[in-house]
Amino acid sequence: MSLENAPPTPPTSLLELYLGFLSIGARSFGGVLPWAHRVMVEERRWIAPADFAEVLALCQFLPGPNVGNVSVVLGRRWFGPLGSLVAFAGLMALPLVWVFALALLYADFSSYPGVKAVVTGVGIAGGGLFIGTAFKLARPLAHKPWGIALAASCFGVIAIGRVSLFAVLPVAALIGWFAARKGLV
Amino acid sequence: MIQLAFYFALLSLVSVGGIPSVMPEMQRLVVDVQGWMSAAEYTQLFAIAQAAPGPNVLVTALIGWKVAGLVGGAVALGAFCGPAAVLAYSIGGIWDRMRDAPWRKIFQRALVPISVGFIVSGGYVLATPQGIDWQSALIAGASAAVLYATRLNPLWVLAGGGVLGFLLF
Repeated sequence: MSLENAPPTPPTSLLELYLGFLSIGARSFGGVLPWAHRVMVEERRWIAPADFAEVLALCQFLPGPNVGNVSVVLGRRWFGPLGSLVAFAGLMALPLVWVFALALLYADFSSYPGVKAVVTGVGIAGGGLFIGTAFKLARPLAHKPWGIALAASCFGVIAIGRVSLFAVLPVAALIGWFAARKGLV
Repeated sequence: MIQLAFYFALLSLVSVGGIPSVMPEMQRLVVDVQGWMSAAEYTQLFAIAQAAPGPNVLVTALIGWKVAGLVGGAVALGAFCGPAAVLAYSIGGIWDRMRDAPWRKIFQRALVPISVGFIVSGGYVLATPQGIDWQSALIAGASAAVLYATRLNPLWVLAGGGVLGFLLF
């Protein structure tokens, strides 16, 4: 129990930082976030749970890959710019090797129609995961018709109309901003 | 390749929520505008990035690799992560001071419907590489429903999609 309440201890060397993020990347089947939490909060106890949640909220609010941003922000906190680079490199190193290995393997076997069908099915299921994630995120909008209308318009214009995101984002952000100020979303 | 790097760097700065938000725009650029690959190939690259462990941002490396070889892969990943990382680096230090600022809460609420619309769009373009047919609708619909309603590991959903793909296509 005393271990449970002990204050977290940040990594003491760049090597420890690198190895920690390497082990996050190495195990991140089916999503990086659960492993980032497990390694940094539970196993290595680098950071307190509430602190982690706050850093994550910042990183979800910023553009870029969420856990990639976590590595940059925490790397900076502990070791400055070099820490950011080391943490980010550790996170990406092994997944990068594996994704290229898998892609090369696929290039060899893609002439088999069965393999192509499986991979296409996985991709479509991945698209379905996006849609399911979006519906989870949309729960706070359940009683906000304006929010639903804004989300549906974004979908219509981008997915069906194929309009560029760079044209849609400023307009949508402006509408969203006024709607949020009036408490409509 | 310079075009690819420039465009991915721009996308990097609007990718609030990560890859899912910019997925429709990335597909529009790579498939519709530049014709670097077909919609089917795009979905397959995405499938590989999803099935491999690691952040799904690695799909940018695969796109770069398809367009311009291994160097293209490194350049695309760097271009997509770099600008956002620099932003995260600079903002990481001052974030705490504006934790309770009212504009931040308004901004966060405004972002919800927009990112929902963007992410559904990303799912839609990935799920319809061969147009809209009942097989794709079944796989995507079932995957979305399972993710929404259960706590099953998403890897099982992807595996199920692979099995259905094998049986239906």
